[in-house]
Amino acid sequence: MQHTPRPSTTGAPLEQLAAHARLSIGADRAEQIAAQVDQITALIDQLDALDLGEAPPATAFDARWE
Amino acid sequence: MQPYQLTALQAAEELRTKRLSPVELVDSVLDRIEAVEPQIGAFTLVTAEQARRAAEHAAAEIAAGRYLGPLHGLTVGVKDLVETAGIATTSSSRSRHDYVPAQDAAIVRRLQSAGAIMVGKTHTHEFAFGVITPTTRNPWNTDHIPGGSSGGSGAALAAGMCHLAVGTDTGGSIRIPSALNGVVGLKPTYGRVSRTGIASLSWSLDHVGPLARTVGDAAAMLQAVAGYDRSDPASVDVPVGDYSAGLQRGVSGLTVGVPTNYFFDNIDPEVETAVRAGIATLQRLGATVREVELPWAAAYMPAEYAIMLPEASAYHQRRLRERGEAIGEDVRVLLEVGELINAPDYIKGLRARTLIQDGWRDLFAQGLDLIAAPTVPNVAARVGQLTFDGAQPEPVITSYVRASAPGNLTGLPAASVPCGFSASGLPIGLQLIGRPFDEATVLRAAAAYENTNEQAGAVPRIG
Repeated sequence: MQHTPRPSTTGAPLEQLAAHARLSIGADRAEQIAAQVDQITALIDQLDALDLGEAPPATAFDARWE
Repeated sequence: MQPYQLTALQAAEELRTKRLSPVELVDSVLDRIEAVEPQIGAFTLVTAEQARRAAEHAAAEIAAGRYLGPLHGLTVGVKDLVETAGIATTSSSRSRHDYVPAQDAAIVRRLQSAGAIMVGKTHTHEFAFGVITPTTRNPWNTDHIPGGSSGGSGAALAAGMCHLAVGTDTGGSIRIPSALNGVVGLKPTYGRVSRTGIASLSWSLDHVGPLARTVGDAAAMLQAVAGYDRSDPASVDVPVGDYSAGLQRGVSGLTVGVPTNYFFDNIDPEVETAVRAGIATLQRLGATVREVELPWAAAYMPAEYAIMLPEASAYHQRRLRERGEAIGEDVRVLLEVGELINAPDYIKGLRARTLIQDGWRDLFAQGLDLIAAPTVPNVAARVGQLTFDGAQPEPVITSYVRASAPGNLTGLPAASVPCGFSASGLPIGLQLIGRPFDEATVLRAAAAYENTNEQAGAVPRIG
């Protein structure tokens, strides 16, 4: 699957993302947070290289009550 | 030798045979805390009064012939992420300074049932979300960090301020401070020890387990805390083995895989030399050693972060909004970033984890009993140091978590055992990773190596 590169979140994109998450981020901290968001999403996007096929998520749920 | 200097099992033998009383032992440890805690800063709170009361009770019980076993009367430090009834549990965060739980965490109840005596709550990197533990210093050199997040537990043990300690491990937080402080740490298999009553960092990756000054001490503590607990949804109902019985069996017949990729990338040459010498020692002791290539290595750090960050942000969602300004900037930023990761990307991390688990299962199916690797690629950073200037400069947190993440993602039991010192006198750790719920083999190999280490269990001079 081809993935479109993510744009930087610096500036207005971070404001919109934070608003959507109902998160208040002061203007004095926005630049630092945007840089971290870009860096960590770039790291996570390395998972795009995997062919996940039918691999289910590694979560579990036990329906027993006891 | 002062009682605080004894290993846990040495002290236990003194207590069992009544050559030493729990009161004398606790007094020795509390005196040691008073002497060195100002330089180390391992504790959020020292519970001296409660410890003395518990010691008097233990002394009476042992005198009456009601000896509970090897932990009875021993001192333990409990990471401040772990709930203790009626005793502040702050997670080393100003945002949680006023939290006093009504109940003990499951692991605390098990330790109490075994007769262990808590001497205090140990510092964590705030909410376990970091590897520095900035409140605390490394007893081997107080210009250096103790690592984290269970930095208080690692430093307290190394400094002789407790005989055993509780740590948690989501991205290396038991193993990193164990390596950096020259003590033994065991991250048990995911599901082996209940996490009920412990503040979460990432439900999918959190583990809790022992830190100790020797492998035998860690095995005795694991014995007391391992077991099924329905209240932890990750707990698995697998029988608990005897973790001490095989410690002197040696490594003959075991096959140890040494990774050709990933773990030795961008490593301090001194660390590599010490770790490879440790592996050569296992071979000399009778283990078969062979090179292996780890599967899906490029996915470890992306999957670790894809899972850990959104889960941490979910756990702290209300706190971030109501008390965000009381959370340290490094942790606050990570919690904010986690809020902005899309759910499909989080689930992609969980799906990658499935591939990683399958890949490691297939790797072990080639006849392996253990993987041996460096616990971390660098020794303890200097206080304030942000980056290791190796062949490729790397942030301190990335370096430490990189070598730890495979153990969290696979959930496999992983121990750190001291394997020497750098020229500057800082400890180095050898990591041993085993099959699911096979802590016994991990401990067996760690003990075999430890038996060759004359400095095992040593307490450094401080100051």
